[in-house]
Amino acid sequence: MNRRDLLIGAGLAALVASGGAALAQQPVVKIGYQLPLTGNTAQYGQDFKNAAEIALAKFNASGKPFKVEIVFEDSRSDAKEGIAIARKFVDDKQIVGVLGDFTSGVSMASAQVYKSAGMPQLSQTASHPDYAKISEWQFRNITTQAQEGPYNADWMADQGFKKIAVIAEQTDWGQTVVSNFADEVKTKGGEVVFSEFFNRGLADFRPIITKIAREKPDAIYTGFFYEDGAQFLKQMKQLGLTIPVYSTSAAYNQKLIELAGADAEGMHLTATFLPSNPAPQVQEFVAAWKEKTGQAEPGQFPAQAYDAVNIMLAALEKAWPEPTREKVRDALAATKDFPGVTGDTTFDADREPAKKLTKAVVKGGQFVAVSN
Amino acid sequence: MSDRLRPLLVVAAVLVLVLGVVPAVLGAFDRSYLYQVANLALIFVLLAASMHLVTGVAGLLQLGHAAFYGVGAYTAALLATDAGLSFGWTLPLAGLGAAFVAVLVALPTMRLVSIYFAVATLGIGQMLYLVMLNWVPVTKGPNGILITSGLTLFGYDLSRPASAYFVVAVVTLASLWVIHRLSHSYYGNALRSLREDDQCADAMGLDTVRLKIESFAVSGFFAGIAGALWAHTAGYISPADFSFPQSILILAMVVVGGLGSLPGAVIGALVLILLPEVLRPVGDFRNIIVGGVLFFSILLMPKGIIGEVSALDLVRRQLGGAWRGEGTKAGSEVGWR
Repeated sequence: MNRRDLLIGAGLAALVASGGAALAQQPVVKIGYQLPLTGNTAQYGQDFKNAAEIALAKFNASGKPFKVEIVFEDSRSDAKEGIAIARKFVDDKQIVGVLGDFTSGVSMASAQVYKSAGMPQLSQTASHPDYAKISEWQFRNITTQAQEGPYNADWMADQGFKKIAVIAEQTDWGQTVVSNFADEVKTKGGEVVFSEFFNRGLADFRPIITKIAREKPDAIYTGFFYEDGAQFLKQMKQLGLTIPVYSTSAAYNQKLIELAGADAEGMHLTATFLPSNPAPQVQEFVAAWKEKTGQAEPGQFPAQAYDAVNIMLAALEKAWPEPTREKVRDALAATKDFPGVTGDTTFDADREPAKKLTKAVVKGGQFVAVSN
Repeated sequence: MSDRLRPLLVVAAVLVLVLGVVPAVLGAFDRSYLYQVANLALIFVLLAASMHLVTGVAGLLQLGHAAFYGVGAYTAALLATDAGLSFGWTLPLAGLGAAFVAVLVALPTMRLVSIYFAVATLGIGQMLYLVMLNWVPVTKGPNGILITSGLTLFGYDLSRPASAYFVVAVVTLASLWVIHRLSHSYYGNALRSLREDDQCADAMGLDTVRLKIESFAVSGFFAGIAGALWAHTAGYISPADFSFPQSILILAMVVVGGLGSLPGAVIGALVLILLPEVLRPVGDFRNIIVGGVLFFSILLMPKGIIGEVSALDLVRRQLGGAWRGEGTKAGSEVGWR
């Protein structure tokens, strides 16, 4: 027996001992969470982890008959790693449910594993139109553009905007931003006069803005995240364009206002989560977030992750005693009017969430809810 | 006698190890995760081996290899979904598709020498990536492609990681054998002469441009085969799988293993795929450790683990006078010849 064997043996013994000790106190149910903790998208993954830990600490302190443990694995937003993690989670018979991943690409690659092995998967952010269609095991806690696009188109039609320019990032999500929105604009009698995709992280939006200005639209509809959004808004103001800008909940992030400053004023967007919402669960989450991270208010994505974890925990509770992957899946599918910080969540027959959208506008450096 | 026996023994040992010992050990653990990691490692062994032929043996510093891997994966995925072909057809066609693109890429770039060639392949790799991302009607763009048919061969469904392992292993071993025969032959020596001094090789009567295009095509073919293996084992591909960092990862495998050595490329791929997985329990520090291993392996072993030629020497030669601080003399090579 060499030193490595000894180490493995010691590790196994420690695992058995700690497992035994935990069993003696209270049964433990395990769930997995695959997310990017390093790499290009690590800032999102770290936020999810913080949100998950807040939700978990609250659950475990609330005197339930069992404790839950979340196994975090770093996928670096790389499909190779995501699939390997999925296999790892599937192999662990104690894991009865999985959260994640962050990007649609990694979520969908991993979903192939969860589909074949029969493991419920709940992503807080995967927005690919085909993600939930992969199998009965895939759920998501993000409003898709199938809901948001028409909602925004109606909102803009109500404001009397007829000629609309659309830009979106060149991702699976950006594609759905444009297609869902444009369809509803047409049925409302409006016209999409310009539509273009840009690659994420584009530094210079001015050629696109110049082209938009040439079409003289009544308003601009945008599908971007806060980094690109801030660039776009600043450069638009530099070029002296004052056309109203509308956006999706993906742009909802306090950092957008920090980066764009006064240039963000007057931007319209939809959101499912506003930290200023006086509902007790929202205020509880915002306070816990500030205390844990020392950051400002949480954005849309951590809020979605927080709700996703809570929905999963509630499903575990329903599946108790003897939770199995099948039981957890059925419990998830039965989720109805779950009171979360991103509004009440109900999964429809296609495992898509229906949520109430809030209209908001940037005013005085804040996102403020508006009625129209 | 022993000289004839030795290669046979090596082949037998590799076959027993890859098709006997490894599956037996993995089977004993019975964890699909281990098979998954083994499959991934084998796919990258094939990618590193295919790059070894161009960069290690022929000495052409290639910075866009992941693009050929992507062309193969997309060819396989589109043939499997739109044309409904099975793995038995998509595998060779993916190789041929990638080889075809590699020849197209090689025709204009072969006139470039040294660092200019490297930058040109970097640009072409990026262009092919953007084609995958933005040619939405054909590649489905950022939506990626779902391959629902899985890995079927002669009507058998081999999608489970344990059975997929044998498919991936057999394809990889056969490809390695071909690459080994190509690089350890008179033909391989001709390629090596390009690496050492292509003008001298030209003067000796070798058709250097043709040799370079051929090595590019063969390398692209096997990268395409690796792409088909990835597409069918993963079940979903998107452009992000074939972006620039993947090219660098493959290059790092070849350099760490040792330029010009096929076993080196294999070991380099195993190290750079297995190390991040083994280090998973370490958490956030695992990437730093992998980076450290890369750094120190180049610092302490400039020739890689088992290399024929030092990576630093190759780069120095690629940069030519600029590296030695001589400046460019009138009439000396400035990118074209």
